[in-house]
Amino acid sequence: MINQLLRYTIIYIVLLLLQVFVFNNIQFSGYVNPYIYILFVLLLPYEISGWLLLIISFFAGFFIDIFMGTAGMHAGATVAAGFARPYILRAISPRDGYVADRELSMVAYGFNWFFFYALLVVAVHHLVLFYLEIFSFEGFFRTFLKVIFSTVFTVIFIIFAEYIRKGR
Amino acid sequence: MRNLLLFIVKYNRIILFILLEMIAVYLISNSYRYHNSQLIKGVRKLTLAWEGVITDTKNYLRIKKINDDLQAENTALWNLIEKNIIKTDSSFLQINDTASGAQYEVLPASVVNNSVNRIKNYFTIDRGKDDGVDVNMGVISPWGVAGITVASSNNYSIVMPVINTDFRLSSKIKSNDYFGSLIWDGKDNRYAVLNDIPQHVALNEGDTIVTTGYSAIFPPGIMVGTISEFKKSGSDFYSIKVRIATDFRKLTYVKVIRNKRQEEQLNLEKGFQ
Repeated sequence: MINQLLRYTIIYIVLLLLQVFVFNNIQFSGYVNPYIYILFVLLLPYEISGWLLLIISFFAGFFIDIFMGTAGMHAGATVAAGFARPYILRAISPRDGYVADRELSMVAYGFNWFFFYALLVVAVHHLVLFYLEIFSFEGFFRTFLKVIFSTVFTVIFIIFAEYIRKGR
Repeated sequence: MRNLLLFIVKYNRIILFILLEMIAVYLISNSYRYHNSQLIKGVRKLTLAWEGVITDTKNYLRIKKINDDLQAENTALWNLIEKNIIKTDSSFLQINDTASGAQYEVLPASVVNNSVNRIKNYFTIDRGKDDGVDVNMGVISPWGVAGITVASSNNYSIVMPVINTDFRLSSKIKSNDYFGSLIWDGKDNRYAVLNDIPQHVALNEGDTIVTTGYSAIFPPGIMVGTISEFKKSGSDFYSIKVRIATDFRKLTYVKVIRNKRQEEQLNLEKGFQ
């Protein structure tokens, strides 16, 4: 238990540092802002209860907000991702179902499953994040385009990160 | 209370989700002036739209009362018009003389039944004896003379309009005060005939015809119509075609005129006829 807590804390800190120092600096062409820290919400254990997942998601976003000075935007987006996660897991459950103490990672369930899982959660996260940033439905399609591009890039980076973790 | 707790337990995830999102939006709106103003703008738009709906609905529900108020106000104004007040010679005027008040009173009424295509047309109004309406009272439309009451029950009265071949109205030409008798020839419900105007009188098409007030039914000077055509016939009198001011085909609101001194005048005249 303590072991797991420590593991996730380390994962979170690594992702946060990567996000703040690396990925926040590759915002090219105004459309592509990858937010890789959402991988943390993806990796949280399957058997975690709904309310705890929401609270952890909230704080995961909240600390990113503190570092980026965006007050609440990332918190709102990660809470939405945490809220959607159980539904997404149910919708794309693998043939043999989920195994209780296994990490929700590419190593455990394979590339295809992980790709769809990441894609859907990241899409929810980015959708909420970019509309919270604009805070209006004016220029709806411009924002939507931004969501799509950023989602693609974030998913690519998350899969890279998973390959690195796998190879280690 | 127990049900509330059960509800919270059952939907704890959704409730927590909404709560956390609210916190996030609160944090955002607190630190960004733009987001704050967007939020306020959205809320205001919502409340304004809702208030608009409420106001419209309220006004619609009150429309009958508004209409009644307007009609009452209109009546009150009509009662104020100077020509309806008896001009008492100043030497006879006493302080607090009640007789210097209005001679004519008007009462708003609605037309509930109407006919225009027969020879003997009548229309019905929704005022009767209970409202003080009796036979031989004048009825005017917003455009001018409409008719005379011929029968009344408790709540309704029958009015003989100008377009009834039995109708007679003492009328005069406004510009020179020559008076004659207005009748309807039963042909066209837009035109009546004015008789008894001698041929030496100068007439013009478009001259206004108004009531004389001799019959003690209408006050003098109420619009009747305008001359549309006149020709000299074989007799000493003109035959004058009058365009009736009132359009009977769209008669909806009328006013009943009560002459407070009608009885007195008629009683006095009775002995000499």
